Amino acid sequence: MDKILKRLAVTSVAAAAAGGAMAAAGGAERVFDPAPGWDYLWKEVLIDISVIGILFALMTAYLIWRYRRTPDNVVGSGPRLSPAAAVGWVVIPTFVFMADDFFIAANGWALWNKYRDVPADRLEIQLESGMYSWDYTYPNGVQTQNELIVPAGKPILLRMTSRDTLHSHFIPDFRVKEDSMPGRVTYIWFLPKEAGKEHLVTCAEYCGVMHSYMAGRVVVKTPEEFKAWYETSGASAKKSS
Amino acid sequence: MSQHHVAHHDAHHGGHHAHWDTSVWPAVISIGILAWSLAFSFHFVYHQSFAGLITFGLGLPLILAGIAGWTSEAMGKGEGLSFGAMGWFILAEAMIFMSFFAYYWFMRLNSPAWPPAGTPELPVVYPLVMTAVLVGSSITIHAAEHQMDLGNKSGFLTWLVVTIVLGLTFLGMSVYEWTHLIHGGFTIATNSFGTTFYSITGLHGSHVVVGLAIFLAGLLPALRGNISHGFWRTASLYWHFVDVIWFFVVSQVYFW
Amino acid sequence: MNLKEWIFTTDHKRVGVLYLIGSIAAFIVAGIMALLMRAELSTVGPTITSNPTTYNVWLYAHGAVMILGFQIPALTGFFANYCIPLMIGAKDVAFPRVNALSVWLFYVGIILALLTFFIPDPPDIMWTGYPPYSTITTGNTALYTFTVLILGFASIIGGVNFLTTITYMRAPGLTWNKLNIFVWCTLGAFVLQLIFVPVLGTAVTLISMDKYLGTHFFDPTRGGDVLTYQNLFWFYSHPAVYVIFLPFFGVLFEIVATFAKNQVFNYKAVVYAGIGGIVLLAGEVWVHHLYVSGMVDWIRVGQMVTTLLISVPVGLMLIGLVGTLYKGSITFETPMLYALGVLFLFLIGGLTGIPLAVASLTLHLSDTYYVVGHFHYVMAVAGTFSIFAGVYYWFPKVTGRMYNEFWGKVGFWITFVGTNIVFWTMMDIGVKGMPRRYYDYAHFSQFEGAHQLMTIGAVILGVGFAIALINWIVGAAKGQPAGDNPWGSMSLEWTTVSPPPHGNWPTPPSVSEEWTPYAYGKR
Repeated sequence: MDKILKRLAVTSVAAAAAGGAMAAAGGAERVFDPAPGWDYLWKEVLIDISVIGILFALMTAYLIWRYRRTPDNVVGSGPRLSPAAAVGWVVIPTFVFMADDFFIAANGWALWNKYRDVPADRLEIQLESGMYSWDYTYPNGVQTQNELIVPAGKPILLRMTSRDTLHSHFIPDFRVKEDSMPGRVTYIWFLPKEAGKEHLVTCAEYCGVMHSYMAGRVVVKTPEEFKAWYETSGASAKKSS
Repeated sequence: MSQHHVAHHDAHHGGHHAHWDTSVWPAVISIGILAWSLAFSFHFVYHQSFAGLITFGLGLPLILAGIAGWTSEAMGKGEGLSFGAMGWFILAEAMIFMSFFAYYWFMRLNSPAWPPAGTPELPVVYPLVMTAVLVGSSITIHAAEHQMDLGNKSGFLTWLVVTIVLGLTFLGMSVYEWTHLIHGGFTIATNSFGTTFYSITGLHGSHVVVGLAIFLAGLLPALRGNISHGFWRTASLYWHFVDVIWFFVVSQVYFW
Repeated sequence: MNLKEWIFTTDHKRVGVLYLIGSIAAFIVAGIMALLMRAELSTVGPTITSNPTTYNVWLYAHGAVMILGFQIPALTGFFANYCIPLMIGAKDVAFPRVNALSVWLFYVGIILALLTFFIPDPPDIMWTGYPPYSTITTGNTALYTFTVLILGFASIIGGVNFLTTITYMRAPGLTWNKLNIFVWCTLGAFVLQLIFVPVLGTAVTLISMDKYLGTHFFDPTRGGDVLTYQNLFWFYSHPAVYVIFLPFFGVLFEIVATFAKNQVFNYKAVVYAGIGGIVLLAGEVWVHHLYVSGMVDWIRVGQMVTTLLISVPVGLMLIGLVGTLYKGSITFETPMLYALGVLFLFLIGGLTGIPLAVASLTLHLSDTYYVVGHFHYVMAVAGTFSIFAGVYYWFPKVTGRMYNEFWGKVGFWITFVGTNIVFWTMMDIGVKGMPRRYYDYAHFSQFEGAHQLMTIGAVILGVGFAIALINWIVGAAKGQPAGDNPWGSMSLEWTTVSPPPHGNWPTPPSVSEEWTPYAYGKR
């Protein structure tokens, strides 16, 4: 119960705080890593909507309290707006809202482009999803299931398709997902940074009875460890085929 | 319009009503539709065709009786507003066709090769004849309406029957063409073009059926001399809509 | 009481009450589904069922029944039927028999939806029914298709009926600029229904055709395309949010104006810029449901802008609503409490929607509990609170009796607290990665505490709603006589007796030059 109360208290602060720290850690030299960019934009938008929300809520609460029924206030006397005031009450808020909309849209668009432009120096892996597994195929023919082994510091591009229903390859730690489906090829990319870490992969698009059990992991190795694993399993993959 | 309504109100508000209007026909039709929905599930989902047949057989007389009862109960009372209402209904109908066409365009423009393998050569002259028949029926229903406005009952009935005959001819031609294509091995399951071809022409055909059903439902009271102007103006508007949609069907599906 | 006169009625008020009874029944069933799901999720791993399909059927039924069986019918069925003819001074709708057909079809739809619990292989395809799963599952997709088609057809004929009624049957002197905001909102909602419901009907028909009739609409091996369904589906289902939003905001306007005894702030802006803007923008934003579904990039970015622009008309309506409080004379009876509660819930829900409009942010947020929390705030809970507000508000008119004010307020506060516990927590764990539609969250066991908190919140919420429902039943049976106009409203529906007779007024009303439904200062 204590845990629950604590969670309730920190709920609003937690999401905001998570953002800042990671933005500073921002990645390798030339490659822009979208994940900290996501955290930064999320924080920015959160501040934006919190300010609007709190101002609006305070104003509403004030109006409710100020114009409550009292013995000498028994009927409303709301203003009859002049044509100019009526138009002003449309045009000015419209421009204020639109300014904020375009500000958010511009930032969102910039980050979107980072998510969609894959760096040229990358490791490209094919993914076929199916009920209920993630099947990865590396360029040298190595195949893994539910385990994506990647070298730290190198952008990873997944080219995804599905052999049955819709699935969505979601890696919460890298702030990215996209659906895979039969008949089309979609892609995502991300930048693993810290060797020795494991990241959860989970399915985010309802795909059938065992949807909630469709999980895997991204295993990040140092470039050397990765190279060793890649070459030995590549050789055995060739032998078996 | 507003003047009409003041009068309308005055006529109906003599005093306090203790009586509440009822009609059983909406309920009868709805239960028929429920039976038909169950029939589909029985036959296609649970493969119990006998139960499907029974529920379908229960639904059919209910729906027919519902429509007949409704028409005889309501004909001539308060269709004044139905012309405007039909305009809104046509908006919704047009959106159904739009969805099918949107699907068709989306698929076709994304497709590497068109038409997909297995599609036979479609006839050129035949759909043009069908178009002529349907356009002809639009002209004849207009003529019928004109006779109705002149107060010429027999002229109205003559043109109406001609329209119905033309509509039936169109349907017959559709059925003939479908049978011909299906015998040639081109079915709804052949490929994505077969799927869209049969669903779009079938959807249009079902609208021709509905239009003819409206005509027939009104024909019986009309033969007894009960000709409601509101009803026929509305029915004719629907028929024109079915005609206009055919231009889209024929140009997109046959000639593009 | 003559039962036949109720069952086969063509009177708009009785049709409305039948809609209300059906939709409340649907609400109770779908609410029980929610409680079952919350019970299941109260621990990691199986809790009350060990079969994921059972959970998925609850999830399907909760979503489909709440939206198609409760919110849309309550708003565009009960409120529209009951209030519109009264508000425009008409004796009934344009086509009373068509109205009866639409309520009967609604009941057929509800029966089909509830058959889910009695048939073998019930549908388990979520209320979205995405192929390919919906075309390969062993569940009964046809039942879903027919439920949607029949409810959709009921909506369309209802829409035709009301648009005709509003256009041609207004009382003498009741010009367009004197219509109640609720009537305007409903008009907008019905225009949206007429344009977009047919698209949904088409989409769900195509999946059943693919599954049972052998077509290849969504089969890529034969030239079909799976993404088309999602486009058709959301082309309706996003505007469906406004089909719910517009009438519930209309209800709020009526209540706030009455309990603030004030005229609506900037009426024409609310009607033409607010409602008009939403109707115009509604069809250009559906791709924000498909940001992670593999659509081409340019359309995702383009609709990010249109989606954000929805904030303009919605903001103008909110200004109109809050502005109506300005210089008002506000009292706090139960309907007003619910309405003011919605202001805050809607504010949270609306603002948390902004991140979801931003395509890049949805790459993480989409399909998580954040989305679920957001749309429950903005649509599910704000809509339901408004429905409850409206039922309390028109309760004396419908029944001629008064509900219990004390228990009404108690019910409100309990639901308000429960709501925030459930859905705030939901958004919080969503941002941290919790995906939606999970029967078991074994990979996210760190959220077990949060899930337990939400289960407690859901029970609180359920208790609050139950108090309101019991209050209505008791009030309708044994409440004090309420009088014809207990709230002192200016609107036309309060000028007749409670409950109104068949035909509504002994003599048809006409309105004066100075009258508006909100002309409080001029009495």
